[in-house]
Amino acid sequence: MKIQIEICDELHTIELERGEAAGQYRASIDGASSVDVEVHLVKPGVLSLHLAGKAYRCVLEESTEGAAIHLAGKRHPYRVDDPRSLKSRRSRHAGADGPKSVTAPMPGRVVRVLASLGDTVDAHQSIVVIEAMKMQNELKSPKAGKVVQLRATPGSTVAAGDVLAVVE
Amino acid sequence: MLNTETAIRKILIANRGEIALRILRGCRELGIGTIAVYSDADRAALHVLEADEAYRLGPAPATDSYLRGDLILDIARRAGAQAIHPGYGFLSENAGFAEACEQAGIKFIGPSASAMRVLGSKTRARQAADAAGMPRTPGSVKGLVSLDEAFIVAEEIGYPVMLKAAAGGGGKGMRAVFTRDELGVAFTAAGSEAERAFGSDEVYLEKLIERPRHIEIQILADEHGNCVSLGERECSVQRRHQKVIEEAPSAFVDEDLRRRMGEAAVRLAKSAGYTNAGTVEFLVDEKRNFYFLEMNTRLQVEHPVTELVTGLDLVQLQIRIAQGEALPFKQDEIRLRGHAMECRVYAEDPDQGFFPSPGKITRLLQPGGPGIREDSGIYEGWVVPLEYDPMLSKLIAYAPTRDTAIARLLRALDEYVIGGIRSNLGLFRRILSDADFQASRIDTGYLDRLLSSKDDSAQADKDSEAIATLAAAIFESMRPSNGNGGNHTAKQSEDNAWKRTARREGLRL
Repeated sequence: MKIQIEICDELHTIELERGEAAGQYRASIDGASSVDVEVHLVKPGVLSLHLAGKAYRCVLEESTEGAAIHLAGKRHPYRVDDPRSLKSRRSRHAGADGPKSVTAPMPGRVVRVLASLGDTVDAHQSIVVIEAMKMQNELKSPKAGKVVQLRATPGSTVAAGDVLAVVE
Repeated sequence: MLNTETAIRKILIANRGEIALRILRGCRELGIGTIAVYSDADRAALHVLEADEAYRLGPAPATDSYLRGDLILDIARRAGAQAIHPGYGFLSENAGFAEACEQAGIKFIGPSASAMRVLGSKTRARQAADAAGMPRTPGSVKGLVSLDEAFIVAEEIGYPVMLKAAAGGGGKGMRAVFTRDELGVAFTAAGSEAERAFGSDEVYLEKLIERPRHIEIQILADEHGNCVSLGERECSVQRRHQKVIEEAPSAFVDEDLRRRMGEAAVRLAKSAGYTNAGTVEFLVDEKRNFYFLEMNTRLQVEHPVTELVTGLDLVQLQIRIAQGEALPFKQDEIRLRGHAMECRVYAEDPDQGFFPSPGKITRLLQPGGPGIREDSGIYEGWVVPLEYDPMLSKLIAYAPTRDTAIARLLRALDEYVIGGIRSNLGLFRRILSDADFQASRIDTGYLDRLLSSKDDSAQADKDSEAIATLAAAIFESMRPSNGNGGNHTAKQSEDNAWKRTARREGLRL
């Protein structure tokens, strides 16, 4: 089976072939020579992986944002690259061009709006301040450009994913 | 010695999260019954699950639940509690609530309302410090009445200065002022911020101590006039005036300084008639001069590091003091042994400007083994509410030396996995691996300097990336929806997503 995984902003193609015994695989990444891997699912999401004389604890994390592998204290977010999905195609072609939105990463309340419609802003310039979990947090512009939409008003509550501003 | 009339048999815990669970455990070991209270956001919380009795307070916002002293007292009365433990935050430093408890004949586990009033206001505490003959930062001991007065005081003590809210905490209403020109704007800003946060615009001025260490003394005082100090904690690793790592003892404090700071703290507590557990905070400059900062009239978040190096249980001692017992030890019986260090684990994303990250914990692997203590209120499947402080747990290591405590924390961090939400576990790995931290070259500006420097620890490790990629592929291959005869609902939603995509792209199905 062939699986495409985008991990740490790099796309990799993994060839997986099940071995005879349970948990045995032949695997190759990006066409490199195949290696023998032996795995055991210790409990849901926790994989004991043996490769070339070394043992690893690989923990799968899943949330609404996507998936990640935790390995030796590091988190590796990844995405399965499904050629059918619009999202993967879009993200592959999307560059710094085009409008980008400032979205609320979590529910909260708009405390301040730091830019006005039509303003020219720098990348990472703060656009909106929202308060959530008793903390004020600045939402920054994803790119340098012009504020072409501004939907945030001080005092209003926002839901996760709400578009608060668009910079073009 | 214990009067059976004052004996506490049942305690209402007026808090949530890890500290509610911590207090509950202390009670249970003493054979004392526990009453939990909860908001609608916390019905599934661990403290509710573990308590002997649990009662709903109200809707999620703290002002409708954990800050409703009237409801809490009413529940305590009806459930037959002899005492209320307020934990930290919420009602713990609310003198009005302490007084209401006193009037209702229910013991508030903490100082009296009057002692709280003297030491809870920063300006009044500075006056008390003067009366107790303890060093404090130069500056005003009363609220500034005007900007003119601010200019006079600042001129007297010399710039740079700090403007602070008298009722303040957590860095709110606080401004560093480096020149005369900045004072006017800062004075107005600090006052209005203090008004919004604490309902009082009283601000005062003090000399800004450069590169200070934050070192605090834990004290315990009984109701018979005995008061002891339990040594210091160093909490210099801070971000936005919030503590991130705390340790005991401080690598910077020698025996003589410890004794002098301890004596000063005890003097202050005694002068205010203080009882129960409390913490006197100091700033210490490079020449080991110490200056009184403020007193926290409650149990602190970081109390476990003191527990580990003293071998004492502070929550249980608080309860014993509250039921009228005398302290079971004298100052010269307090021994500090080994080194303890605590990481405050928060639901926040260090890669995204420390943005809070509430949500469902979909995966949780907790560390253990020698010298590791984890005080937490979380479990796999728990949804971290967005209404409250985003602290998830406290990871604490205890070891014979500071170096081994650091090694233990690093080892425990490798075991620790919190998935589904972001956490600051990676930040601790970075701090604990930093040469300056390891050599204890720290002050309250240390963490900001570290965070503005380049992060080498995040360097891509190609080998572990390859393993992670492989693991991701194997997990994906195990998904039922990818194989034959897959999970029906997963398959269906995938089909729907497919259809939506196709529709958007104008394909015909």
